Amino acid sequence: MAAEMALLKPITKFNTFNTTTTSRLSNRRLPFTVRMSATTTPPTSKPTKKAQKQGIKESLLTPRFYTTDFDEMETLFNTEINKNLNEAEFEALLQEFKTDYNQTHFVRNKEFKEAADKIQGPLRQIFVEFLERSCTAEFSGFLLYKELGRRLKKTNPVVAEIFSLMSRDEARHAGFLNKGLSDFNLALDLGFLTKARKYTFFKPKFIFYATYLSEKIGYWRYITIYRHLKANPEYTCYPIFKYFENWCQDENRHGDFFSALMKAQPQFLNDWKAKLWSRFFCLSVYVTMYLNDCQRTDFYEGIGLNTKEFDMHVIIETNRTTARIFPAVLDVENPEFKRKLDRMVEINQKILAVGETDDIPLVKNFKRIPLIAALASELLAAYLMKPIESGSVDFAEFEPQLVY
Amino acid sequence: MSASTALNLGSLCSSVVNLPTHYSHKPSLLFHGIQSQQFLASPNTVLKGFNGSSRRRWELSRKVKRAVAAVDSSDPAEKQETERKKYYFLVANAKFMLDEEEHFQEQLFERLRLFGERNKEQDFWLVIEPKFLDKYPNITKRLKRPAVALVSTNGTWITFMKLRLDRVLQESFEADSTEEALACTPVNLEFEKPEKWTAPYPKYESGWWEPFLPPGSQTSKV
Repeated sequence: MAAEMALLKPITKFNTFNTTTTSRLSNRRLPFTVRMSATTTPPTSKPTKKAQKQGIKESLLTPRFYTTDFDEMETLFNTEINKNLNEAEFEALLQEFKTDYNQTHFVRNKEFKEAADKIQGPLRQIFVEFLERSCTAEFSGFLLYKELGRRLKKTNPVVAEIFSLMSRDEARHAGFLNKGLSDFNLALDLGFLTKARKYTFFKPKFIFYATYLSEKIGYWRYITIYRHLKANPEYTCYPIFKYFENWCQDENRHGDFFSALMKAQPQFLNDWKAKLWSRFFCLSVYVTMYLNDCQRTDFYEGIGLNTKEFDMHVIIETNRTTARIFPAVLDVENPEFKRKLDRMVEINQKILAVGETDDIPLVKNFKRIPLIAALASELLAAYLMKPIESGSVDFAEFEPQLVY
Repeated sequence: MSASTALNLGSLCSSVVNLPTHYSHKPSLLFHGIQSQQFLASPNTVLKGFNGSSRRRWELSRKVKRAVAAVDSSDPAEKQETERKKYYFLVANAKFMLDEEEHFQEQLFERLRLFGERNKEQDFWLVIEPKFLDKYPNITKRLKRPAVALVSTNGTWITFMKLRLDRVLQESFEADSTEEALACTPVNLEFEKPEKWTAPYPKYESGWWEPFLPPGSQTSKV
């Protein structure tokens, strides 16, 4: 499950900052098809491993590029077939995206390059990794949103336009991150990425759950980092963090759109299957983030955060937000949940350690088996923990008795 | 964040059972004399589009127009001149609206910033204990007090905000003037600190809502 990064080759796999995020990029914003070139390699890099890196290595924790059943998507949003799509909500979202709050926000200045030059030593490598992973995450969504915007034009022009506007946002985000990489004398070859990466197929229903979560978790990650650095400015070693406050509002809005999409398809929210899937996606997203971040604890500590505390806060808040729409969420504030996460981290570290040994692949796989079994067992136990009933008040049967 | 926040519908349900007639918060009701409601801008906001004195002039002219309409209200031409506007609102208890939903605060400041950048006149407000609630007994019987409403003449945006906030009640009404629409009863709000705080940053400070309160709101003397 190692997440290795090749600086010397065009981008291979990354564990992102934003786990199952689907973010996208517009070609017009991206003149950057510069291939990755070597930079001053920091001392802690492992040159032998990187030199050997060839193709794209995937793992369960790698951020994915997504594709879906576009025909089914079209059917879901066909206004002729579905007479009860909530037009008002989609119109409202369209207006909100058209407003374009961040139209003039992503403007760089000379601070960026100056700050990047000051970041040397191990932190430099960590930073680059963060930028790359975030950029890939944003770009990944761009591809999906752009395609959906294209495919849904005839069947539901309002929803199609929203997807296109979201891809506009992700374009800005990814472009901004890619420009940040250029401060470190690198850039992502996004054209190559688009063609070379494997795409994970998710049915539309799963796209909704997964993307909703990744957008909302993205919001909480960005805003938490922003507010933490605002309170502790001595850790702001690179100006990009100052942009996070406005930036993350985009992510939050994207999540709202998926919320509306799910409400438009109540079958994704109202039965026992929906509850099981909700819990499943919550668990995958939270665990992926936790495992990823614990592998990269240097980054978070570099900006003055305690990685696990940061992650738990983000998980708790994302879960609380998600409870506004998912019919069931995890009981993340139960101390047992964190204990399970921490055990998973330990197991994962052992799995990674096996990968680092000099054994032949067969032996390595053999050693991994009990560890993977242990991990699966923790995951299952976490999944089976008593969930919290939740959901939008719009769907609550007992809504008339609610007090606001 | 506090574990006691309305995360799950279970807790909302239990509030049905307990049905407090009054909020159990600390906030005390203090009736000020004339509320010198300064339009306090927070450091984050640039209020370019708002000009207090011009608004007062505009409101005065509307009052005049309303007087004219009252004389002969059946004349459609006169009716148009009253500039009766539709106001859309979302309402919930003050703790939810002002203390628990930190993203809400961010959104409002973002919108205010945008209006400033584009020289748009502010068309959204936070109204604490709005008087218009008296017209909605069906709402007030399900509302913990003190209550706060997000009011706007932009109905589409209110629909979006309902989607975002979810746990609010939504309605609309018509009024002849912004003054009338946003009339409220002043309340001194104090919120308890959350029991649990997991964030690596401090909570937003109380009073953030000042820039969004209705300008020069009338208050009753006690």
